[in-house]
Amino acid sequence: MVDFKAHASSSAGNLYTVTDGGKTLVIECGVRFKTLQSALGFSLSSVSGLLVSHAHQDHAACIQDVLRASVPCYMSEGTAQALGVAGHHRTHILTGLRQVDIGGWTVLPFGVIHDADEPLGFLIVAPGGDRLVYAVDTAYVPYRFERLSVIAIEANFSLDTIRRNVASGEIALSHKNRVIQNHMSIERALDMLRANDLSQVREIHLLHLSDGNSDAEAFRRQVQELTGKPVYVAARQ
Amino acid sequence: MSVPQAQAQNQSQPNALALVKRDTVDVVAARIRQFVQDGELALPANYSPENAMKSAWLILQSTVDKERRPVLKACTKESIANALLDMVIQGLNPAKRQCYFIPYGDQLVCQRSYFGDEALVLRVKPDANIWYGVVYEGDEFEYQMERGLRKITKHVQQITNIKPDKIIAAYCVIEGKDGQVIHTEVMTIDQIHKSWQQSKTYRANGDGPHNNFPDQMCLRTAIRRASKAIINSSSDDYLLLERVNRSDEVGAEAEIEAEVEANANGEIIDAETKPAPAEPQVAAAKEQAPAVQSPAPQAPTKAPPAQQAKQTRLGEPGF
Repeated sequence: MVDFKAHASSSAGNLYTVTDGGKTLVIECGVRFKTLQSALGFSLSSVSGLLVSHAHQDHAACIQDVLRASVPCYMSEGTAQALGVAGHHRTHILTGLRQVDIGGWTVLPFGVIHDADEPLGFLIVAPGGDRLVYAVDTAYVPYRFERLSVIAIEANFSLDTIRRNVASGEIALSHKNRVIQNHMSIERALDMLRANDLSQVREIHLLHLSDGNSDAEAFRRQVQELTGKPVYVAARQ
Repeated sequence: MSVPQAQAQNQSQPNALALVKRDTVDVVAARIRQFVQDGELALPANYSPENAMKSAWLILQSTVDKERRPVLKACTKESIANALLDMVIQGLNPAKRQCYFIPYGDQLVCQRSYFGDEALVLRVKPDANIWYGVVYEGDEFEYQMERGLRKITKHVQQITNIKPDKIIAAYCVIEGKDGQVIHTEVMTIDQIHKSWQQSKTYRANGDGPHNNFPDQMCLRTAIRRASKAIINSSSDDYLLLERVNRSDEVGAEAEIEAEVEANANGEIIDAETKPAPAEPQVAAAKEQAPAVQSPAPQAPTKAPPAQQAKQTRLGEPGF
């Protein structure tokens, strides 16, 4: 049984782990290296690799430290270039829709919609066979998937709330436009869940909620009502 | 709801059109009259809402969406009426290319062009003067900072400097009475590219207007930004400001929602759990040379090709 954990999940920092049968895959490293080490119990020996979705700091802050700690790091060419780690011997380049094997994990990266160079989402097949989809920092999920056990997707804002925040002067219109073009709303997350076969899904994780434009409890309730599955909303950290 | 297809087919064309016109143009015209009577809307003296409406109606009859459907059939009457209202309240005339009508899915949006931005600046500052230019490599270009504001003092250009790939900046200056500078916008080419990256129609190495008419598009970006600063800060015309913001907001929302509608949750992809031997085998345990390959064709990381035809009118500068 694959175990997905959100250790930090916001525009201030992101760190997730997927564990199965003693092996761990780390997703994102947008935190201080100390935070990452402590999340992994100060032992990186069980880590098969690190996946980085894109080069923004809240997803990749301590990439240099992770590389130095002998962890193989996987990311797109665009991400590697932007982070300046393209030439590192532990950097492995991922290409959209080309799967790789990472120490018993199978990872199929896919292109997503975000204002970074070559951002990716991941379909992950754990050593035990569980399938997990991870898509964060994307306007929407371009694909559908089969036989998923775990879904970990962004629910950054609700359209009503962000509209209200613009109307009240809480946020600038230009900021809203950036958010709606680059992040997934709860409405679009619900559409994604409606579009996929959830019959084998055990749990759904909602990630990367924005501070002012979201409502964790309402989001959890909406997804639970739609799917009837256990829903976990990631805490900021 | 858009016009019911069956109805549109059963009736002669003019009749169906007349119905749409009644529910949009006539409704909007009545609302505008009401606004003016109530003193809520002061239209510029030289602006004729009737003429703008006539032009808009003519243009709309020949505007189609990317599936070649007439927008008057494909878009909701409510969104058509709102687009017309946006146009009139902002005092824009589509015949002067101050705005365009763009369909996103079933939503019609009135999008201001930069000519429209200039018209709005003149509306809130009737004696304003707007001038602008593109700076090329080799130009002599100087400005001074005066109390935190830029003041351009010199721009000398040799005609031989004008090369589309050698643009280094663009500027736009808005002056008030007696040549007093109200706002100066100077944008470096990097800042301009950053701003373009926010646009769904821009591809760095594509074949769009940004690539084919970089000088025009750089000017447009600088003018838009300078105009925005003036429009947002100097009008106390609440109805106008609300409409300016509404149309900007609705446009951005409709655009992304149409893209989501077209591209989200598409084809099913799956991983083979026995990796194909052609894949680079990377064992986490053993270090090896980096598997740096040249990237193969990518899944869409920006809008997929289907999106590229979204903007049918962008193939020319001045949009």
